[in-house]
Amino acid sequence: MTFLNPLAFGFLGAVPLIVLLYLLKVKRRTAPVSTLMFWQRVLEENRRRALFHRLRQLLSLLFHLLIFTLILLALSKPELARFVRTGTSTVLVLDTRARMQAVESDGESRFTKAKRELNAFARHASAQNAVAILTAAAGAQVAAPFSDDEKALQQIIAKLEPTDASGDLNDAIKLANELLASRSGEKRIVVVTDSKSTNPDPKIDFISIGESHENIAITRFAARPLLNSPQTSEVLLELHNFGNKPAHGNVELYFDDALLDVKPFDLAPDAHRVEIFPWLPQTNGRGWLRARLDVKDALATDNEAFAVLPAFVQKHVLLVTRGNWFIEKMLEADDTTKFELLTPDAFTPEMAKDFDAVILDNALPNGFDLGTARGNFLFVKQTPFTANEMLDQPLVSDSDSRAPLMRLVALQNVTFLRSSKMTLPAGSDAWKFDAPLRSFENPLIISGVRGNQRIAAFAFDIAETDLPLRVAFPLLMSNTLQWLAGEKQNSIGSVRAGETLTLENGQRVFTKPQKNTKTDTPLVNAKMVSGAFQPMKNGWYLARNGDAVSWTAVNTFSENESDLRAATVAAKRASHTSPFAKFASWPIWTDLALAAFVLFTLEWWLFHRRFTE
Amino acid sequence: MQQTSDDLLFDSQFLAKLEQLYLLSRKIFRGQHRAERKSKQIGSSLEFADYRNYTSGDDLRTIDWNIYGRLDRLFVKLFEEEQDLPVYFLVDASASMRWSSRENALTKLAQARRVAASLAYIALANLDRVNVFYFSSVLGADAGMARGKSQFHKLLEFLKHVPAANGATQLLPALRAFAQRAKRRGLVFVLSDFFDPDGYDEALRLMRYHQFDVHAIQVLDPAEHDPQLRGDLRLIDAESNAPLEVTSDDALLRRYRTEFGGFLRGLEEFCIAHQIGYVQASSAVAFEDLVLRVLRDGVIIR
Repeated sequence: MTFLNPLAFGFLGAVPLIVLLYLLKVKRRTAPVSTLMFWQRVLEENRRRALFHRLRQLLSLLFHLLIFTLILLALSKPELARFVRTGTSTVLVLDTRARMQAVESDGESRFTKAKRELNAFARHASAQNAVAILTAAAGAQVAAPFSDDEKALQQIIAKLEPTDASGDLNDAIKLANELLASRSGEKRIVVVTDSKSTNPDPKIDFISIGESHENIAITRFAARPLLNSPQTSEVLLELHNFGNKPAHGNVELYFDDALLDVKPFDLAPDAHRVEIFPWLPQTNGRGWLRARLDVKDALATDNEAFAVLPAFVQKHVLLVTRGNWFIEKMLEADDTTKFELLTPDAFTPEMAKDFDAVILDNALPNGFDLGTARGNFLFVKQTPFTANEMLDQPLVSDSDSRAPLMRLVALQNVTFLRSSKMTLPAGSDAWKFDAPLRSFENPLIISGVRGNQRIAAFAFDIAETDLPLRVAFPLLMSNTLQWLAGEKQNSIGSVRAGETLTLENGQRVFTKPQKNTKTDTPLVNAKMVSGAFQPMKNGWYLARNGDAVSWTAVNTFSENESDLRAATVAAKRASHTSPFAKFASWPIWTDLALAAFVLFTLEWWLFHRRFTE
Repeated sequence: MQQTSDDLLFDSQFLAKLEQLYLLSRKIFRGQHRAERKSKQIGSSLEFADYRNYTSGDDLRTIDWNIYGRLDRLFVKLFEEEQDLPVYFLVDASASMRWSSRENALTKLAQARRVAASLAYIALANLDRVNVFYFSSVLGADAGMARGKSQFHKLLEFLKHVPAANGATQLLPALRAFAQRAKRRGLVFVLSDFFDPDGYDEALRLMRYHQFDVHAIQVLDPAEHDPQLRGDLRLIDAESNAPLEVTSDDALLRRYRTEFGGFLRGLEEFCIAHQIGYVQASSAVAFEDLVLRVLRDGVIIR
């Protein structure tokens, strides 16, 4: 027990005054009577009851002393050591991760319970007990700096909301320790979470909330264009049963808020299942894809997932050649590509910035310098890495199928008549090179990346191979051009809540997510950010870059958040469901003041009933 | 003597009513003058009283010759003689009688004086001899014997002038002095609150011993019956000025009323046991009603 206001005990000096006042005779009203004969006889009988009379007086004195003591104790603001110690700095860490939205058996969410716990601590904020509040989700944030203002802290707590993000508490604990580092006196961290304590630090108190629950979640939901038909997309959906019982239900797929498909599912305990929804055509709508589970479980936020249909954007390609029938025909046949043809004489490297990719077919400009060049290039035969030596009939020895250029491309049986001998340059700070296709020590294909700039170099002339006769040719060209087009062609369609999005120059994102075209308010006055953005709630976010508009889907997609079985059972917290729970968390001085008031009322009643004098 | 502001005069209509009343005496007293009251004295009235044997020297006119004819013995007829009756009013003028529970309300003493005046008038109207005494701890001066309505003004003058407060009520010395001073036995009205710390019984017994026909008229204030004093009080005795600190509540007042009621019952029972007339007269009761109704109920007047 600690007294926050020990100066109040100075009033103990008033106790003798109370006793003295009690010993003083009351000022009596004078009343003349004709005779005292009868009064004296009555009082003689009363004196026989003098002991009881004295007891009544003593009882009254005891009442007053007790009331005074209670008021004194209330003024001294006693606190349990659990809440505060003299000169204590307390950092309250509130877990705001998605899993805190889980609803308990009493119908109350873990987050609501956690906020109540936080309020209990905030009520004990005082000059001797500064309290700060941190939130822990994808990262740690200071919700309230150190303060002794109980009301301000409670107002801040009231505004806190759970996020849909995943994360761990260590960042918040680290930040709490940093905040406490500059504080003197006793330091304390209180983490209110649904997870078990993993930190052995004795100054950290974990208040665990929540019981173990079964949960079904959508753990993946994405759409991508089909390689053979970029204007058509397929949707992948993964479900996971984080429970010990089999689960079944339906998963609904909505496209621009219209129900598109429903698939039933049965999931064994702790099993996951992948569903594919093929052949989604491109439309002129928003491209919103939404999956929803028609099950009711503890955590609702992971029963819904959002995705965006990949926008179909044609690549703008410049082909610089003296004539290459194969490449020209391939580009003509590719719907995803719009190309222009230019002779090497007319080409200048400055033109590259207006195209997603430039194919320099056997036409490396004089004095071409990779260090200064801007744009994405595909060099064919003449490359910046080419020596004057040639390789005769090189054989493919190594093909990196994980490289984006080589995806689904098999070149092992391709016959190369000859090829230039390229040397894989050593990586510099700016450029990073790779050779996904080799003929032993000689690279046949080199890819390089410098920031958003990409280049690829083929050591061989297309016409001097049998590659155009193979299926691998259009795939290789498509992969290469797709990769060269880079971020432009693969705009960010989906991120996890809590991840930071790096926005392009001029790109701005509305910070408020949208979930429904019918009910969501227009984003007229909504806040926008640029540079970087960290979405914390699931939904679709609208990004603008000039007139260009794109949507980004944000989802939780975290097994850590969806698996609620690891939650700590905190049976002792069950008392909070009682109507008296909120009184139990009040500071002790309020209880004492209440007791003093009750005693005062009782004493008043006894006095008027003449039980005391 | 102190001049009081009490108006003791009665209007003529009220006096006429009083004249119709007859003062009752349960005993017959010897009187010096003929009056309208029977006495033990065998006299010359027409009312036959008794026979007795003739003795020498008796008036021969009183011999009943018819008896002599039948019995051959001489008997003398005795006749009652109607005589006047001495009526004494002893008015308590102690400090307790001067106390009143309310401002400008009639004091017990004023009420007692009015009762005494009205009864005195009735007695005078019946040709009785009347005297009035004030007393407190001692017997004060008296008005002197008065007879006939013509002397009523003398009694009124005496009653108008109340002696200065002279101590507490002490019945025994005052009544003992009265018994010694009164030459003839007769009716005695004691008008007092009987709040004598030494008790009233010895004094009243003394009066009975001296063969007075005693009537106790106890004059009380309503607040003495039912005091409304609550809280922390410092009670002051009107006679001794002695203080008494009391914390009064309903329980204490209940005990007071019980005690006071016991005192009243004790006085009444004592009076009945000793053939003393007892009437309780409240100072709050209208004077006319008190004389005409309360005293009639007390079988003093009929």
